[in-house]
Amino acid sequence: MKVNDNAAHAVVDARGVSRVFAMPAGPVVAVREVTLQICGGDHVAVRGPSGCGKSTLLHILGCVDAPSSGTLLFDNQDVSGLSDARRSRLRLRHIGFVFQRFFLLPMLTASENVELPLSEAGVGKKERQQRTRELLEYVGLASRADHRPSQLSGGEMQRVAIARALANRPRLLLADEPTGELDESTGAQIATLLDRVNRDGTALVIVTHDSTLASRAARVLLMRDGRIEGEQRR
Amino acid sequence: MRALGFAARSLVRQPARATLGILGVAAVGALLFDMLLLSQGLLVSMRDLLEHSGWDIRVSAGDLPGRGPRVQNSLEVARRIAALPLVRSTLRVRMADAQIDRPSSTPIRAAFEGVSALSTTGADMHPPWTVTRGREARGPHEVVIDDRIAAALGVGPGGTITLRASCVSDRESLPPVRVDVAGIAEFPFAVSDEDAIGGTFEALQTACSGNVGDDADLLLVTSTGDSNETAAAIRTAVPDLRAMTNAEVVGRLQQTGFSYFRQISTVLTTVTVSFAVLLITVLLTVSVNQRLGEIAALRALGFSRSRVVADVLSESALIVGSGGLLSLPLGLLLASVLDRILKDMPGIPVELHFFVFESEALTIHIVLLVATAIIAALYPMRIVSTLPIAATLRAEVMD
Repeated sequence: MKVNDNAAHAVVDARGVSRVFAMPAGPVVAVREVTLQICGGDHVAVRGPSGCGKSTLLHILGCVDAPSSGTLLFDNQDVSGLSDARRSRLRLRHIGFVFQRFFLLPMLTASENVELPLSEAGVGKKERQQRTRELLEYVGLASRADHRPSQLSGGEMQRVAIARALANRPRLLLADEPTGELDESTGAQIATLLDRVNRDGTALVIVTHDSTLASRAARVLLMRDGRIEGEQRR
Repeated sequence: MRALGFAARSLVRQPARATLGILGVAAVGALLFDMLLLSQGLLVSMRDLLEHSGWDIRVSAGDLPGRGPRVQNSLEVARRIAALPLVRSTLRVRMADAQIDRPSSTPIRAAFEGVSALSTTGADMHPPWTVTRGREARGPHEVVIDDRIAAALGVGPGGTITLRASCVSDRESLPPVRVDVAGIAEFPFAVSDEDAIGGTFEALQTACSGNVGDDADLLLVTSTGDSNETAAAIRTAVPDLRAMTNAEVVGRLQQTGFSYFRQISTVLTTVTVSFAVLLITVLLTVSVNQRLGEIAALRALGFSRSRVVADVLSESALIVGSGGLLSLPLGLLLASVLDRILKDMPGIPVELHFFVFESEALTIHIVLLVATAIIAALYPMRIVSTLPIAATLRAEVMD
């Protein structure tokens, strides 16, 4: 379903979304009526104390979780009615994820990990290999293409994870504490790489506790108790 | 990388788990394969044995040929049967217990098969044994003996043996007679713990001092055409007797003694398949639970539900397929060992086998293994297909 309104330029448009989890002790509201637009080329950081709903919001924006109420439009399309298969396809084609714990597959080499989403998207072998080479060069790991994750450092693993997230040229890259498992220096390198990804045209939303990482974003959203309580623009 | 390649890498990633699974399936599959061979083995072996004997129909007075009362006036019966247009030849078979003397040792106990043929077509008839050395026994003073007797007595074709037979009662005390050994023969229907001698009806008369009478244990018949029609014609001609085709004999055995083996094999097949299902289910479930974060991440990256389910199914198929391949040579080896052990049971014809390879058994084996791979993967497939992506990613970070 296409929605024609003045938010047509937004990659993702959350309108009054809430997420409530049913718990034994009673319902827990993780996200409360959040309205948010992420446009192409945006660089957004989401900050806030632990448990304030940052990751849940990120999951909703990335279509891996569905809001309990409100509307989520991706590329002007309401995703609430999409089947699981179509949501998977949407994520595969248009959304990239970077996780705190990398989640690279240990039995695959760096290039095979990067190639996975391309393969799933049905990209031909020659094109896959070409794209994988480009991405590993982009993240500075061309020489480590045949190394398995266990042979890479934490920073290198996160670079591979970023390359994997960019494989299908997503419009939106979501990163959940991408420097959470890294030391300060390595974290800064990853932050620089993410800046570059954003400069090259991919909208970027980062959930982080790291104030240095957040300060690089053009917009910093402050969350508390599931609400966006403020926004700083640079 | 497609699901099968992905699954192969997952197995290589955890070699101990993969090895355990494959060896487990190989062992269970070998047992399963043996049970399938056993379920039909005796029947197939008996059918082959009957068909290779060259006789279409067996006529007896009891339920099963060679058991129960003897056929009275067997010569007259044989003539009436031989006179039927569908019958090519008839062979009367009379069994007797015999003892063969040997110097300074206990006598050898043996079964003496005496045969007498009637042919209406002049066709060449062969007795229910096969001469391997020497020639066929002829007349009243010649016999053929099996290899074990020949070895025990150190005689061969052209030699002589002294025997006494009991044709009427075990308590007969007949004088010993010397007969010539015309040849050494294999007796496919002889039981494994008993030696065998063969000869003409006249030779049996000689051994029993003329006490054989006109009884026969059974009559073997070859037909000129369809054996069912011939058997029906024989039943009409001699209504007091039972005429059974080879298929009917096998069917009868299937309903009686051999059914135990079939039941045992069915029970053991069920147990082995259940064990294989449990083994693979446990291994896959443990594996999937260890990788929930990775699976959730793949789903977040856009891998479809059907794709992650296919990965699990492929892993199951690879474990069961590899184990299943190994199970075939293992099963055949195990079957040959078990066959030797079971054939040592008393009363089993030497040429009868418990485990017989048939393509049908292989087909069922493959079908059961495929079903095992699918059923074993059902629960772990359910885990990955219903995996809540966001909750799993959150839980992984919390851990």
